[in-house]
Amino acid sequence: MELVERLTPSMRRVARMFVSSDAVADEAVQEAWLGVLQGIDRFEGRSSLRTWIFRILVNIAKTRGQREARSVPFATLAGDDLEAPSWEPAAFDSGGHWSTLPFDWRGLPEDRVTGNETLRVIGRAIEALPPMQAEVIRLRDVSGWTSEEVRNALELTDTNQRVLLHRARAKVREAVEAHLRSERE
Amino acid sequence: MSTQIACRQLLELISGYLDEALPADTRAAVEAHLSGCDGCSAVLDEFRTTIELTGQLTEAQLTPAQRDTMLAAFRDWTGS
Repeated sequence: MELVERLTPSMRRVARMFVSSDAVADEAVQEAWLGVLQGIDRFEGRSSLRTWIFRILVNIAKTRGQREARSVPFATLAGDDLEAPSWEPAAFDSGGHWSTLPFDWRGLPEDRVTGNETLRVIGRAIEALPPMQAEVIRLRDVSGWTSEEVRNALELTDTNQRVLLHRARAKVREAVEAHLRSERE
Repeated sequence: MSTQIACRQLLELISGYLDEALPADTRAAVEAHLSGCDGCSAVLDEFRTTIELTGQLTEAQLTPAQRDTMLAAFRDWTGS
């Protein structure tokens, strides 16, 4: 039961990427748990249990999405900014080195940086990410999954997983910086 | 001789560096760059802090109604 409670929120979000409504996503999650119960004897421990559960879910959600004739392009889920630089090009000289040094948080009082308001800023920044970037950063940095688990669970290549995570982290870092700058002024 | 990387390139490698996912020669080039670059060292520290803070968030809670529906359905299947 604890596992159901722990995994279900991310499972609903992941399912929702592939289907057209929250209700269908919930059905997919329920079907996935049923599949887990029926198939648990076949779980061979070659991947982690949570990865195996997510693979079952992703298969079900994709099948349901196809049945709804809803095929979502990878770029819609992943965001169209994966090739974009993590940083304003204007911050660099022609050789690619800083032309002005970046704003440095490190001199700020620690309680300001690590306060609850910063956590809320991070939560909102994650919500605003394209769905696949949001899910990768949640699984990796909030839930502590390994890159291999995330890659297998969401059927991503190694490179895609890394780029999605980096884009997500860069945008969250940027949001924290904007928040700290605005507080200072 | 290891290749030199510019700040703009280094910023794309930070997550890979923190996850220890870079090939050895790239990792060495990143470390060589960081040892001489205050700006990039600051950004690396900020990524570390951001990741640490992100880890303090709790997983989104289901609203009680949704959770109860899900758990009830689950009990039906398990027959408990």
